[in-house]
Amino acid sequence: MDHDHGIDKKVHREHLGATKDAHASHGGLGIYLAVFVALCILTLISFLVGNSQVLRENAPQVMWAAMMAVSVAKALLVMLFFMHLKWEANWKYVLTVPASMMSLFLVLMLVPDIGRRTRNYSDDRWLYSAEPKVEDKKHQDADHLHPPAKSGEGH
Amino acid sequence: MSEHAHAHDDHGHGHIKLQYQRSLPIPNGKLCLWLFLSTEIMFFAGLIGAYIVLRFGAPEGTWPLPHDVHLIEWVGAMNTFVLICSSVTIVLSYEAAKFNQSSLSRFWLALTLVLGTVFIGVKGFEYKSKFAHGIYPSTPHSLIYEKADIYYVQAVRQKLAAHKAGLDAKVAAEEKLTEDEEDRLKVVNQLTDYTKWTESIAALDNDPLKRRAAMERLAMSVYPLFRGHDSHLPPDQKHELFTKMMKDELSAVEREGFTVNESLKKIAGDRANVAKEAENLTEQIKQLNEQKSKLPAAPAAGATGASEGNGTTFVALQDQPNPAAQIDMQIADATAKLGEKTKELGKFDEQILPLDNRLKAITARTQVQPILEHAHGGLNEHYDWLKLPMKIPSGNMWASTYFLMTGFHAIHVAVGLLAFVLILPKTLDATKAHIIENVGLYWHFVDLVWIFLFPLLYLF
Repeated sequence: MDHDHGIDKKVHREHLGATKDAHASHGGLGIYLAVFVALCILTLISFLVGNSQVLRENAPQVMWAAMMAVSVAKALLVMLFFMHLKWEANWKYVLTVPASMMSLFLVLMLVPDIGRRTRNYSDDRWLYSAEPKVEDKKHQDADHLHPPAKSGEGH
Repeated sequence: MSEHAHAHDDHGHGHIKLQYQRSLPIPNGKLCLWLFLSTEIMFFAGLIGAYIVLRFGAPEGTWPLPHDVHLIEWVGAMNTFVLICSSVTIVLSYEAAKFNQSSLSRFWLALTLVLGTVFIGVKGFEYKSKFAHGIYPSTPHSLIYEKADIYYVQAVRQKLAAHKAGLDAKVAAEEKLTEDEEDRLKVVNQLTDYTKWTESIAALDNDPLKRRAAMERLAMSVYPLFRGHDSHLPPDQKHELFTKMMKDELSAVEREGFTVNESLKKIAGDRANVAKEAENLTEQIKQLNEQKSKLPAAPAAGATGASEGNGTTFVALQDQPNPAAQIDMQIADATAKLGEKTKELGKFDEQILPLDNRLKAITARTQVQPILEHAHGGLNEHYDWLKLPMKIPSGNMWASTYFLMTGFHAIHVAVGLLAFVLILPKTLDATKAHIIENVGLYWHFVDLVWIFLFPLLYLF
């Protein structure tokens, strides 16, 4: 009756301490510095790409994809190293994988009804829109006239 | 993977042996925080996902460019850098605490707090700049209109009327207007004329393209937006484009003014002739009346009969044509002619009135041109007191999503700062390191959200 039946509290209190990260505690500071520099460089890349007028005019999708890739890379760096997930056990996948799947799914499911809503507009509906309908970009090239600039010039 | 507690020997007492098995190899606090972070992921994924869909679902070319809504990309980039630094410092604080370096840990924690405050400060500065330009999350403060239609023009006129009412009230109160206010009154009056000019085209012109063009010109005067290739011209070239557009309208207007003036002159000339004739007739009638009054008294018998026969050519055989009757006939004749002339004059006046109004409007339009041409960056930029409604397509959608997302993020940052403040007084040794770990996890999540928000809002 003197000894505990189950929980050895003292033992568990030790386990309640900070996560042991054998890999990162030594030389951990070096890793953090490296990650910091990498984050700064990635931010700079993202900023330069986003401000590139060449890309914006010619291939905006490439620009967006590049910026999203940079963002994902930065997020991974923060999550793996600063939030220590690299050294955590498999429970990290339980949390992150379903959440990521749901986020992606959410966006994809909104695309047909909300993202592509203007593709089903009738001509009447286009009359009430803020800007007139822009014709397909494919028809614009050097041989054809550019559509008039949206500066409100009358005919 | 679960870790076992030390197994207890069976002492043969027949007790039920219970072992405490941990489900995850992490402390409860950390587990709870990660669960909370997963809800936060869902929260922000919902908002960011919705923003992505709305922004890319907006009709081609309608989503405001960062410049249009006073988003300055490098300020956002600087904020990103600040937050990255604060992520590093909180990690360093945790590491120091793990190795029992509590004062160093506190130093890094304090630095994190400072950096977080800088982030909030910069955000506040950005918000203030948006509010100063009339960009609010929603009406009534928001000055953003989606399109330049007749309601927009009406809103502009009402805002100008409100300005004018304020200034007029001051005049009515017998107070002297300052020079500044005098100038403002002038500007307000001329802009009101220009708005009415736009409204008359928008309401009356038969050509729908002309109607739309007129309203778009007003919107461009208030807050110019440039799309496509024009959007990254330097400001003075953009202003050149705008000025050229207004000058084109002005030359067409002046040509019309010239024509109207010519017509007016011609009609006025004709009217003057007719008026002269009318004057002559009036003079004639006056003279005839005088003549009549000078006549001797008419003989009693036949005169009455003949003089009552107005307009008849019947002449009593035994009577001479009665001079009074003759005069009366002439008077009647002249009066009839005068009536006709007066009618003609009336017709001329009918023609003149609309032309006159048109000329007044054209003159007003001509007079407002210098104001429009000198307002670099638009009227709202040049006269920061004007705060006229402005047209930014998808502007309200942009403002709602921007303020919602950055607002929620800022609230999360503020909560993090509060947590730092609460921990700072503690002795941050190895026994407390787990607190810093958890707060650090939250802070890193806040940084993560910003990593996605920055390109989506500022760069896309």
